[in-house]
Amino acid sequence: MKNTISVKHLTKIYQKIKAVDNLSFDVREGEILGLLGPNGSGKSTTINCILSLLKYDKGEIKIFDQPMSPDAYEIKRQIGVVFQDVAVFEELNVYDNIDFFCGLYIKDKAERAKCVEDAIKLVGLQDFRKFYPKQLSGGLLRRLNIACGIAHKPKLIFLDEPTVAVDPQSRNHILENIETLRKRGATVVYTTHYMEEAEQLCDRIIIIDKGKIIASGTPTELKKLVKNKPIKEVSGPTLNDVFLELTGKDLRD
Amino acid sequence: MFWHNFKYTLKIILRDYALVFWTLAFPLIMATLFNLAFSNIENGERLKVIDVAVIDDGEWQANKPFQEAFRELSREDSPDRLFDTRYVSREEANQLLADEDIAGFLQLKSGHPELTVAESGINATILKSAIEEIATQSQVIREIAQKDPTKLAQLGTLPTVEIEDQSSEHLSYTMIEYYTLIAMTCLYGGMIGMAAINQLLANMSTSGRRIAVSPSPKWKLIISGLLASYLVQLVGLALLFVYTITILHVDYGPHFGLVATLSLLGSLAGLAIGVAVASLVRSNANAKVGIIIAVTMFGCFLAGMMGITMKYIVDTNLPILNRLNPANLITDGLYALYYYPTFDRFWGDVSVLTGITIVLIGFSIWSLRKEQYDNL
Repeated sequence: MKNTISVKHLTKIYQKIKAVDNLSFDVREGEILGLLGPNGSGKSTTINCILSLLKYDKGEIKIFDQPMSPDAYEIKRQIGVVFQDVAVFEELNVYDNIDFFCGLYIKDKAERAKCVEDAIKLVGLQDFRKFYPKQLSGGLLRRLNIACGIAHKPKLIFLDEPTVAVDPQSRNHILENIETLRKRGATVVYTTHYMEEAEQLCDRIIIIDKGKIIASGTPTELKKLVKNKPIKEVSGPTLNDVFLELTGKDLRD
Repeated sequence: MFWHNFKYTLKIILRDYALVFWTLAFPLIMATLFNLAFSNIENGERLKVIDVAVIDDGEWQANKPFQEAFRELSREDSPDRLFDTRYVSREEANQLLADEDIAGFLQLKSGHPELTVAESGINATILKSAIEEIATQSQVIREIAQKDPTKLAQLGTLPTVEIEDQSSEHLSYTMIEYYTLIAMTCLYGGMIGMAAINQLLANMSTSGRRIAVSPSPKWKLIISGLLASYLVQLVGLALLFVYTITILHVDYGPHFGLVATLSLLGSLAGLAIGVAVASLVRSNANAKVGIIIAVTMFGCFLAGMMGITMKYIVDTNLPILNRLNPANLITDGLYALYYYPTFDRFWGDVSVLTGITIVLIGFSIWSLRKEQYDNL
């Protein structure tokens, strides 16, 4: 299987601290890769380096076998990003927000209009086209955030904690959307704090802590890393157990 | 993509009501306040003859160009009379100045004019401008005399200084205030320019981050955003002119086309400042707004908005500051249209303002071209 992303020896030092420490991994075409880690572990920094938003000190990043850079427009054309914070304009309504961001990728008006409609349907915002962001609930805002990131039908999608602070129904809807995107052939890099989400969605998972990869594999492979699971858990260790075992139980900033 | 971003930037700006207020309504409010504050002062004011003194020493006697120029500008029968000149000793001049009988006195030292004024003001500014012009023309004549004395016969040997009331009605102190108001309106465009650029920056907003990862070249986004901002600003400027001319009956003099030209350029300079602050200052949006307001207000202050005295002080003591101060370049250009029969000073101001605008926009685009950040 071809690699969509190839990261080799990525190192990012910020204020003398290694935010990302010699990270190497690949993302295969058509898979959903989960990037897990505690707050400040380097997940977002890694994604921002891959997207060429952040400078990095060492390493090589290739997307679709091409070196990634700020002006690699042909690569960027095929990428969609859903940031953790809702990234929309308060001054534009739902339709205009999606149309604006989609228009940065697709010039043709008719093609764009179709993409925008598809995105609206995908995230279930048909009844909210004329609503402004401040008129939307948290869950609807998250869905708008996703629509803005994927309307142009990218081949590679970064989803940075897209389900933070939403109710179970919205979360479920968002997860279904991600499955749909994968079925359409998109490769997805997904970060989350919710282990059950990662277990449900991801083909492979990479766990990062202190800028380093501390484990990687399929959910099943990762579960095998936990040996001292209490007997009362008849269903065996969950990914949550794996996560806490590997990164510790102390609260992070 | 260019027009796509233009259209949406325009929508975003027009739905930002605070920005619209500052751009469209605030200048009208200021104009109304100026009108209320200055209308009574203006009544009956005309260009008055200024009382001045000249130190009548050997150097003065040896300098024919200055002598003739002052004689001409002080002729009682001249409709363009500017000065009532007294020829006195240094001690007498000091006494006249102390008694406030004169606005200032002139002494030539090694061929260079040295002006002493009691206090800065419109009279001091006119006096200074006249002396500068005499000195410049004297220098030209000297140079011609050195290179080709025969040409002097064709030109005449004496400088002619023309400072006159160019307005259709009368010289208006309030005009200076309106000029600085126009300058302020132009420079407040920086707020719109900054807002338009901030939305493109990954370190300023999450939407900026989303735009930064899109395949849209930065320069296209910047120029289209700038154009949308410019359009909004021009609407603000047009409103200000329509309001001041039709409601407040402000007379912008006989060269309104040039007043408008300078205002268009001034607006672009204002946007350029906003773009430069947005792209070059690494700080949050509030700090950037603060910087633009500070730059605008301080620039207008130096250009004479809170009193023409300040313009004179800066022009006299630190002229480079006002030569690089966009607010002053706009004010000074308008002022030159009003007071001078030639357009040299006006075009000089236009040239510097154009240069500043090009440099700021060019440098901003260059700095944002492939921008990556240390942290987000």
